[in-house]
Amino acid sequence: MPGNCFLESAIIVQTREVAESTYITGLKSRLIAPLVTPGQFLMVSFPETSDPLLPRAFSVCDATADTLSLFYVAVGRGTRRISKLKPGESLVLNGPLGKGFPEMRSAQKIWAAVGGSGAALIPILARAASKTSADIHFYYGARTGKQLVGFDEAANLEYATDDGSKGFRGNVVQLLIEKMKNGMPDLLFGCGPTPMLISMQKEFGARVPTYLSVETPMACGMGLCQGCPVRKAGKKDYYLACKDGPVFRSNEIEFEADL
Amino acid sequence: MTPDLRVRIGELELKNPIMTASGTCGYGDELSDYFDISILGAVVSKSLTLKPKIGNEPPRVAEVACGMLNSIGLANIGVQAFINEKMPKLNKLGALIIVNIAAKRVEDYVALSEALAGNASIRGLELNLSCPNVKEGGIEFGTDVRTLSTIVKRVRKVFPRALVVKLTPNVTRISEFAKAAEAEGADGVTVANTYVGMAVDVYSREPRIHTVTGGLSGPAIKPLTMAKVFEVSKAVRIPIIASGGIFVWQDVVEYMIAGATAVEIGTALFTKPDAPAGFLKSMGEYLSHENVSAVSELIGSLRAKLENVPHLKRG
Repeated sequence: MPGNCFLESAIIVQTREVAESTYITGLKSRLIAPLVTPGQFLMVSFPETSDPLLPRAFSVCDATADTLSLFYVAVGRGTRRISKLKPGESLVLNGPLGKGFPEMRSAQKIWAAVGGSGAALIPILARAASKTSADIHFYYGARTGKQLVGFDEAANLEYATDDGSKGFRGNVVQLLIEKMKNGMPDLLFGCGPTPMLISMQKEFGARVPTYLSVETPMACGMGLCQGCPVRKAGKKDYYLACKDGPVFRSNEIEFEADL
Repeated sequence: MTPDLRVRIGELELKNPIMTASGTCGYGDELSDYFDISILGAVVSKSLTLKPKIGNEPPRVAEVACGMLNSIGLANIGVQAFINEKMPKLNKLGALIIVNIAAKRVEDYVALSEALAGNASIRGLELNLSCPNVKEGGIEFGTDVRTLSTIVKRVRKVFPRALVVKLTPNVTRISEFAKAAEAEGADGVTVANTYVGMAVDVYSREPRIHTVTGGLSGPAIKPLTMAKVFEVSKAVRIPIIASGGIFVWQDVVEYMIAGATAVEIGTALFTKPDAPAGFLKSMGEYLSHENVSAVSELIGSLRAKLENVPHLKRG
């Protein structure tokens, strides 16, 4: 999409710790925010430094006319540093990049399973669904209740925790299996850790149109380096997560065997 | 007065010394979302092979301190698809195109060069004899002076325009390879490809890229490559294209002072895809400020006493 991506220096408005080591950082973004669709991502870098060198990929948590927010678990050097930036400091954003989830239609019944930093998608999906009057339900999984973040934006949200401390006891895929006993959605979205996506592909890929947002190491996010291959289903060939994805129809891709 | 930024590689005139490095700018057109690529001295394509290649298994990239490791494995669409699908786009964008090629047999280098010689808008050829991550186009060609000579000699016969040889830094004395390229009629040498490197995940005890070792690029390697550019500049008369860890405009100037005629920007594009545009602007300001009327005056202008260099082999 020529001319639709921008490099933008974005000022931080605020950063909130929303769960254990989990943050939401809001930024002023005049160029990118109005264009982002759910599931697209940004490459985020620090101005004027070569350490850390490479930009980090973030899916956009929410976007309005001139602001957007990033949701992340601060586990690495880059994310920890972003979590400590003060309002008024800036980050460099490159985006919107990649292909997001398919556009939702009115009255369409959509189930979105999220886990880990995949929960980032709840606000932006909820906003897009309400715009088109799609009927979206979220299923949000974590190991324990302390890791779950409350999102006011989502009206229909159910939790699954491995230890049963909040919501359904078990993982989010087990919860979906239970739910499907009483009816199927029109579309299923998945965004979370790779084992969750593999299990969604296996359980639901053949039963309902399923779209998965993959996570893979990425250097540039623009197709320059070819560093983010995703195996094409049944072929000896690769997609690039950055240009062809990160959201793929589940039956288009194969996950690496050793994951 | 606006400084004259033109430089020459053989008979090829570049409007300025800033090029993009093969494998870091896709096929060139991806960058045009961020800036007008016709302002560049040249765009160097990804390494092309005779047939398409799917490349290595993931993970292919890993970040390390001030640099990154990559092992892409020459994933590319193949020379015919490039000529048919990408060249028309690149011509439309007004970019000066140099094509980088890789192969696993001498005959394939010749076949690739013949295929590209027929397209006049491919203004130059860069031979990848130095990729650390695959057998073809790889270390065994780039680390044997006789093989390098054979390939350059054979390609020289079939490709009439600018011919540049991209050297590997993973040798004891890179200037021997530069001299061999010059002797066989190369118009220039690119110094250099990436350095063989490695990183390990301490929890899984697995290598951080699939092929265990990969090519190290980024600011981490700039002083290493600077020394190699200097070494080569004392050994050959043909132009040197410096490539290694350029991250700010001063790096471009530094390489030119050390002996380079032009430079290739690589890993920096991943963070700042419009970096070359900024470098050009800042370089122009630097030249005006220093009262330098032509950028070519910088080439090899290092103020150093050669007798102070302990390991420099002369001649």
